[in-house]
Amino acid sequence: MAIVLFSGALAGTLHGVANLVIVEPYLDTAIGIENQNLFASGEEEDTPAFWVEYDAYRDWQKGGQVLAGAILGTSMGGLFGIVYVLSRNALPRGSDLKKSFTLAAIMWLTIYIIPFLKYPANPPTVGDPETVVLRSILFLSFIALSGFGAVAFYQVYKRLQSKKIAAFVGYGIFIAIVFALMPPNPDEVTAPMDLVNGFRAMSVVAVSVFWVSIAVIFGGLWHKFRPDAENSDINN
Amino acid sequence: MSSLTQITKSTSQIPIFAIIVLAIIFAVGLFVVGYDQGHIFSIVLGEQAYADLYIHELTHDMRHEAGFPCH
Repeated sequence: MAIVLFSGALAGTLHGVANLVIVEPYLDTAIGIENQNLFASGEEEDTPAFWVEYDAYRDWQKGGQVLAGAILGTSMGGLFGIVYVLSRNALPRGSDLKKSFTLAAIMWLTIYIIPFLKYPANPPTVGDPETVVLRSILFLSFIALSGFGAVAFYQVYKRLQSKKIAAFVGYGIFIAIVFALMPPNPDEVTAPMDLVNGFRAMSVVAVSVFWVSIAVIFGGLWHKFRPDAENSDINN
Repeated sequence: MSSLTQITKSTSQIPIFAIIVLAIIFAVGLFVVGYDQGHIFSIVLGEQAYADLYIHELTHDMRHEAGFPCH
């Protein structure tokens, strides 16, 4: 269990640092637009005092994301560990690193990339606070459908004696239907598209850093400590 | 026969306790980073927590970057 949590926390921290380096400039620009809107509407005044408070607040958010990365990473690491333990025997023969890479790739695709294509990440200023609950429900439901869909077709895959490719095709059809039926994000993007697209591209890179990191760290540690070996106890 | 024994063994080796603990960590961690709007601190701070939004602000940038819906 320590391996799972450690790999997740470390990969998550790397994710947080990657965000800090490559995604932050987009966030700063987006929040700059939010500030200009606040000044324009009279909700805030463009004074030195505003900027002192704003900078302190942003430093807290920027530092916080590394910690948030560690928490999210530990959490995703937990899920990764569960799936790995349950599916290890079905993953391609070979080293633990190969297995962990295969699983990370599948999870990256099914619970990140495909949901991202339907509901892409947005920088600040895009989301309407009024719709955040609806958007959260849509986003989480899509991930859950995709993830559990993958698990269901994994069961099909295990039972098929031949033509195992049918399980992949089945998942593809299933997720295409879900993709088409789920309602779109209700918010209209009013921010400049250059900014939004740049933000999305960097966001994908940063999340991918997480999945690659967890595959390497987890696979490496599992190979070294072999928690599945005989006489292992659950704390391994 | 020997293969049968092996299958049984590897199934019983799956540590149920560890899986439950990991599942709880997964759910709590996801909630903290992705969805908390003062709920957790409200246990200690009461209604004030919904105005302060400490966890929301702490995880704000990560929410956007990881694709969670936000404002």
